[in-house]
Amino acid sequence: MSDVDLVVETVRDILTKHEPFVLSTERPWDAGLWSALAEAGLTGVGLPEEAGGSGGELADAVAIVGALAAGAAAVPVAEQLLVAAPAVLAADLDLPAPEEPLSFAVAGAVTAEPRDDGDGPGSWMLTGTATDVAWAGVAQHLAVLATSPVGPVLALVHVAGRQATHAANLAGEPRGSLVLQGVTAPGALLTEAQAEQLRARYALARAVQLSAALQQVLAWTVHHAGEREQFGRPLGKFQAIQMELAEMAGEVTAVAALVDAAVQAVERGESLVLACAAAKVRAGAAVEVVARLAHQVHGAIGFTQEHRLHHLTRRCWSWRDEAGTETAWAAVLGAGLLADGPDALWPALTRVV
Amino acid sequence: MGSNSLTLAPAPRSAAAEEVRAEVREFLAAELAAGTFTTHVDTWLSGVDPAFSCKLGERGWLGMTWPKRYGGHERTAMERYAVTEELLAAGAPVAAHWIADRQSGPNLLRYGTEAQRTEILPRIAAGECYFVIGMSEPDSGSDLASIRTRATRNGDGDWVVNGAKVWTSNAHTSHYAITLVRTSPADPANRHAGLSQLLVDLSLPGITVNPIRILDGGHHFNEVVFDDVVVPGEMLLGEEGAGWHQVTAELAFERSGPERFLSTYPLIAEFARRAADPAQLAALGRISARLLALRQLSLRIAGALDRGELPDIPAALVKDVGTTFEADVIDEVRRAVDVPASLDSPDPLGRALAEAQLHAPGYTLRGGTNEILRGIVARGLGLR
Repeated sequence: MSDVDLVVETVRDILTKHEPFVLSTERPWDAGLWSALAEAGLTGVGLPEEAGGSGGELADAVAIVGALAAGAAAVPVAEQLLVAAPAVLAADLDLPAPEEPLSFAVAGAVTAEPRDDGDGPGSWMLTGTATDVAWAGVAQHLAVLATSPVGPVLALVHVAGRQATHAANLAGEPRGSLVLQGVTAPGALLTEAQAEQLRARYALARAVQLSAALQQVLAWTVHHAGEREQFGRPLGKFQAIQMELAEMAGEVTAVAALVDAAVQAVERGESLVLACAAAKVRAGAAVEVVARLAHQVHGAIGFTQEHRLHHLTRRCWSWRDEAGTETAWAAVLGAGLLADGPDALWPALTRVV
Repeated sequence: MGSNSLTLAPAPRSAAAEEVRAEVREFLAAELAAGTFTTHVDTWLSGVDPAFSCKLGERGWLGMTWPKRYGGHERTAMERYAVTEELLAAGAPVAAHWIADRQSGPNLLRYGTEAQRTEILPRIAAGECYFVIGMSEPDSGSDLASIRTRATRNGDGDWVVNGAKVWTSNAHTSHYAITLVRTSPADPANRHAGLSQLLVDLSLPGITVNPIRILDGGHHFNEVVFDDVVVPGEMLLGEEGAGWHQVTAELAFERSGPERFLSTYPLIAEFARRAADPAQLAALGRISARLLALRQLSLRIAGALDRGELPDIPAALVKDVGTTFEADVIDEVRRAVDVPASLDSPDPLGRALAEAQLHAPGYTLRGGTNEILRGIVARGLGLR
């Protein structure tokens, strides 16, 4: 068993004691699950021990995020492990303790004014409202990608106890706004390229979640088709159903191949933006087919709140729009592939992943 | 669930593949500049150019993975993948040798006699010897096991073949047909038994090749009729009665390559010259994301072939997803531009759209219909 398999095993073990539930304003996340994960050191995986993390590779963190996404786990692990914490470390800021949830926000409407020389890590005064903040009201810390007169700034804001507006995505995951008026926070100036890479990593994090969730949706649907009998035989014995399941499998397998390749591109530190953009676009596109057919095969029971299917399909319907919609990333990908001119499209395609 | 049988390990990165890719790219740029070919859609079916095939043979880009003693070059499937992908992206005329290099050669290598290999493989690798697939018949399409072409032994131990094969692409420019025949009477209890593969020289007496024109008038398909054709006994390929098993192995090669998602790439390249506004760039991005995922799937299969596996179920999945994509490209481009499709269009994008559209019905039929492929995928999911 590889290290990655072990990590996944541990996560799945913990998940058996934490069933997904319908999120509400009273219970917007799974605090108990988070504590269990933190206790096992899983909220610091992929982060160096000297920075307070648990060590391990990006691949381990990706595996954890995937396993949690497949389990419809209401915890900000994708944001923390794949986006915010690596960004905080890359910006040379002090990483909060891994047991304190850290989320990420792209906040173009938040401006940062340097409080010292503004060059490198320093102190910034933030003004504005961060909207669509993943886990607003839940996260204790927020890595905010803000704008400043001298370029993009990554600021690390302590948001525990700060009032967030009530807004949620289609699955009920908190996506409210946080008013950051005159807040002082440590932060670092980024280049435009670094900011773009950070947005791309956020997109990849959602793609990793989508890929894992779509695989699980396929597995549930295959299982249902094997169990549910009509006309005296299991649904899965009908050719019409087999065609739909095979189409789902094609989508799921294609997404997994591209997302895996994009993660590897990030590990190698190359051509990150286009690889992440492609992964996000492909994963988002698959949601159309996979969620539609999963519900079709499940029939009316899959349309109920009592059945588990919605925990994943509702998340997929939101995750595809979050961290940049398919349309936005598709335009980035299209333009990026043409950067060396239209005749260089093919060489560009063979370089992406 | 059985989805593990659909999933393959990620392909390893190959520096050697990138090296040969650069060489092919340089070669193609020079050939395009010299005007030896012009880019077209779907050229692995319709671009027959024996001189071009010979050039590829001279460069060592055919029979790449085969042993040197058979004229091969002992390179990896990953290197071969890079070469084929570059040729397809350029829309180069590769149809003459395509089947021979892709599946007939590997089939001979696996099941052929020493004499068959020594006689034929070096000529394929040189780009001089071309093959057709003798599987489908007028009454047997998706239901391949129902074929009726018969081969019976005569007193000299030779095979006497009677029947007809259809959709034999480029039989009129090819030398051999690996022909699936019934060598013992059909057994309703085991439909796959009693089939064998014969290596049939298309110049033998009694063979008639009749053109079947596709809907645009193009001549790629043929009907090959066998009328008491005497095929020498030693031209049995592999084992008598093992034809079904051998055909299945052949299909792993037939179904997994980049030609299953790049047939319409020249249309994408032409669209890229037009994509300017955000909606068009997004359309290009959506197309590209699908293509990139297919590349990864196809590369994984090349990696599996290098490990000696025959991933027939993943190959069926790639072909289903890939050929669906080939046709979707047309729709995606049409929605993004205001250019009518016409072979006589002054606009190269209009011509590419026309070529891609007129060939589109074939993408999801040839090499196994997508319905058949999805049935195979369903088997991989444990549903059959």
